Amino acid sequence: MSNYFYVAPEQLIKDRAEFAQKGIARGRSIIAAIYDVGVVMVAENPSASLYKISEIYDRIAFAGVGKYNEFDRLREAGIRWADGTGFTYSREDVDARALANYYAQHLGDMFTEGQKPLEVEILVAQLGNKFRPTKLYRIAYEGTISDEERFAVLGGDAETIKGRFAALENGPLNLGETLAHAVAALAGPDRQLPISDLEVGVLEDRGDRRTFARLDDATLAQLLE
Amino acid sequence: MGLPLFDAQSDPGPSFVRFAELAGLTTPPTTTDLSAHATTVVAVRYDGGVVLVGDRQATSYYVANRDVRKIEAADRYTALAISGSAARGLEFIRLAQLSFEHYEKMSDAALSLEGKANYLSPLIQRNNLTSTLVVLPLLAGWDLTHQIGRIFEYDGAGGCYERQDFSVIGSGTPYADSTLRLGFRTQMSREEALELAALAIYEAADNDPSTGGPDFVRGIYPMMVTVGAEGFRELGVEVTEATFRAINDRRAATRGVAGGNLR
Repeated sequence: MSNYFYVAPEQLIKDRAEFAQKGIARGRSIIAAIYDVGVVMVAENPSASLYKISEIYDRIAFAGVGKYNEFDRLREAGIRWADGTGFTYSREDVDARALANYYAQHLGDMFTEGQKPLEVEILVAQLGNKFRPTKLYRIAYEGTISDEERFAVLGGDAETIKGRFAALENGPLNLGETLAHAVAALAGPDRQLPISDLEVGVLEDRGDRRTFARLDDATLAQLLE
Repeated sequence: MGLPLFDAQSDPGPSFVRFAELAGLTTPPTTTDLSAHATTVVAVRYDGGVVLVGDRQATSYYVANRDVRKIEAADRYTALAISGSAARGLEFIRLAQLSFEHYEKMSDAALSLEGKANYLSPLIQRNNLTSTLVVLPLLAGWDLTHQIGRIFEYDGAGGCYERQDFSVIGSGTPYADSTLRLGFRTQMSREEALELAALAIYEAADNDPSTGGPDFVRGIYPMMVTVGAEGFRELGVEVTEATFRAINDRRAATRGVAGGNLR
């Protein structure tokens, strides 16, 4: 006969939270910020092919920190959900809030019922238009969803970076200024982030239906001049 | 719809159609129905890409619709045209557009033009072999890898064939095809190709009751599209009107006699 030891629910939750936090803290952080005409997402990512930021739909983007395979599966599910919803109803009916809620439910379920909690923190960004506001939804490993104003920071070092960015940021600036502040906040006072280590995606209206774009190194160098 | 998560074994990958089937978003076509049909479209290669011209009429026993768009941008460098059942065809365009975009977002890489052409084959096969609502599309675009315009046509069973010169789909095919056979030259300019393709649609509309010609009363003209290095471009109504008015005026001056220099 096997023995089961009693573990208090408080302890269980605490252990699971610590486990997830440790996994997330291992990765680098991401800042997402609203600028005058769009949303910019900046990640420290030395890899040029394993992206942390990507397009979900016409006006929706995704960013994830933590375990790559885990948030990449969430990214794929998000694209499928958005394309499936847009195909069934209309492109206008694809809303970031609904997607963020699904993510929150799934992360919450995995945290309490899964074999192990997912070691990820994700962001769903929506570029507003006449009918919808610009939004940043941050979803934590245990399913907590927060509707962030102006900017959001994901990752282990979030509080410090948040402080640094808040000190620089005052009201919506243009893309170049917002980007410079985000890079400075990610780097901190003691180091410089080379452009090749940055992954940057934006949501901005350029006259096309799809608003997501990745900024290449040349464009970043120009913007950060 | 809930969050569509799959484990590694059942994951549909970057194919939207496979995902849509797993998620139950598409229903297999089984009905027989006399619904509106969409008709003639031509695609012609020129030295800088491809031009497409297509009529606008959907026909049942009567004219069901006079301003159907049978040519659409499947993505920035690809045009997709349909003939056959209008209902199935328009859904087909939607499915193809979404599939190419879905693949691009999932894999962070765009499909090659040949990849897009091949992807459509099983879709056509599945639709046409299970339904009387037959769809025959035409895929034409600018191949970014090889820097040339290319045209792909299909047979009813989904077979995909690349054409080096031009392609025609729809009920007006005999008339449009004859016009293109006589008029086609290699190394045509964009304007020459557009002129020839427009003439082919004019002839098809002249003889085929299910193909709509230029409608000077309502100001509805066949769609004219170019796809080259600059991407998919639809020409404005000033251009389409001028093109078809010129052909019409020439034909009116000879009281409907065509051929030779009178074309």
